[in-house]
Amino acid sequence: MATLARNEFDVPTTPIDRDDDFLVVVSDRSLGRNTPQRVASRLWAPMLAMALIAFPAAFVLALVRSSLIGDGATDVVAIAQLQHLTAAVMFTGFLAVLSAITFAVARILGEFRSGGGLVQESAGVRVQTLRMPAPAKGMLALMMAGMMAVLIPVVLHVVAAAAIVGPAEADLLRSERWFEVLEGIRRLGVAAFLLGISLGLGTIVHVLRFQATHIREVADEVGSSR
Amino acid sequence: MSRDIDWIKRPGRGADLRTGLRERSIGLALGAAGVLTVAVATIGNLTAGGNPARAVWTFGATTAGLGLVKTGIAIVLVGIVLRLWLRVDSVKESLARMKGRTPPGGVRTGDVETPFGPATSAATSPDPLPIHRMARAMWLPALVMGVMAVAVGFVFSLAASAQDPTIVAFRRWSALSQGTMFLGETFLLAGISFLLGTILSGLREGGGEVQEELGVAVKTLRMPTSAKAFIALMATGMMIGIAQFVLYLVGAANAGDPGFVTTAAWLGPLREVGLGVMLAGIVLALHTIAGALGFQFSRIRELIATGA
Repeated sequence: MATLARNEFDVPTTPIDRDDDFLVVVSDRSLGRNTPQRVASRLWAPMLAMALIAFPAAFVLALVRSSLIGDGATDVVAIAQLQHLTAAVMFTGFLAVLSAITFAVARILGEFRSGGGLVQESAGVRVQTLRMPAPAKGMLALMMAGMMAVLIPVVLHVVAAAAIVGPAEADLLRSERWFEVLEGIRRLGVAAFLLGISLGLGTIVHVLRFQATHIREVADEVGSSR
Repeated sequence: MSRDIDWIKRPGRGADLRTGLRERSIGLALGAAGVLTVAVATIGNLTAGGNPARAVWTFGATTAGLGLVKTGIAIVLVGIVLRLWLRVDSVKESLARMKGRTPPGGVRTGDVETPFGPATSAATSPDPLPIHRMARAMWLPALVMGVMAVAVGFVFSLAASAQDPTIVAFRRWSALSQGTMFLGETFLLAGISFLLGTILSGLREGGGEVQEELGVAVKTLRMPTSAKAFIALMATGMMIGIAQFVLYLVGAANAGDPGFVTTAAWLGPLREVGLGVMLAGIVLALHTIAGALGFQFSRIRELIATGA
């Protein structure tokens, strides 16, 4: 049963059964990249730029904090606030660079999808395209989970820095505990991001297996029609 | 290719369709184990209640967990390298039957412009670049050193957590743990970067091999700016990783000096900047791979359409 699917060129696709473990759709033309791959192609560079700004900025904040400590630690509130702000800016950088890596992996998957389709199209056969495999969906889910688990602590670090009002010991201890808790959550976010990247790379293995198999089928079809 | 050190053996032509799947499964299992380790450490963080001994233990467990995930990523990349070689064999065999009739007149050599950047056209496959040789030889030593340093650093973090947080020995073990673990993370990212270099090398060599065997002009992309920037960022990140390790060693040797608190305030962020710079390099390596793939698909279409 033919279905209209939204893809880059709005080409109608039909799901088909293959004898192996690959789930594909067929179409008359290349489907191009899917929506996440198109978004990834646009966003990887801005994310990288954001990371390259955030890392030195965080280091400058750390140097300021270090100089305050070295000067005799009279302004303990500023020192505690800068600890939170340095972590917030640093992990904005990690959020951006890990997003950029995920987008770059998605971009590679887009090249396989788009390029593989165009090769089949130029060979004059019907185009088979892999449906989005489960690991690719896992990559998107883990990226979003990781992003939230880093972004929320980044915001809370800023809130915690603003909440330090006085040099009272209880206030500073509370700030220290907040730092500890937020540190744990953002590290978990980084781990989720990295596992998502693993799943994305695992999807590339899947796509390479499919393309190595299917290009032989395309050659057989072209050979028999000549 | 086999003249140089190369830790990944190219699979034979009749290799199993499942080649690369074992590496993918191992890599993903390591990744899942790493995330679980980090989750346990996060619970430790949530319940630490300002205890510095607990904090140093959770730091060690988290860094070890992240190290496991990175090792998993490296192993999945090995699976990709293996599958890329099988792709070369498939494309070579299939393109011989699909390509158009090659026009007479021989191969035109020299520089050519492509939508993917400047390229060269030659009659034979290009030799691997020195940086590609280095990547193929270095990824495994870097990975092994990374795993070892993370494991040793984790033991140091356990030693620190067993000390009274008010004594000098605690600060010494803690400094050793931080420096060694981040040196390990640096080497793990270097191993991943070298594997990405190995993939780029495989794409260049495999693409050349296919074209040479078909008897057509061997078109090869020149090294793009993004690849050069990738190398620069990776080298910078490695230097920062090694420098922070040396500075932590100095700190551990002078753990009784109150001035070390001042140094530690910028040394911690510095080691994170080092990792961030290496990750930025990895983004550029992936971007370069995407460009190389786009060029290859375009060249395959050109060969099908024109035979040259």
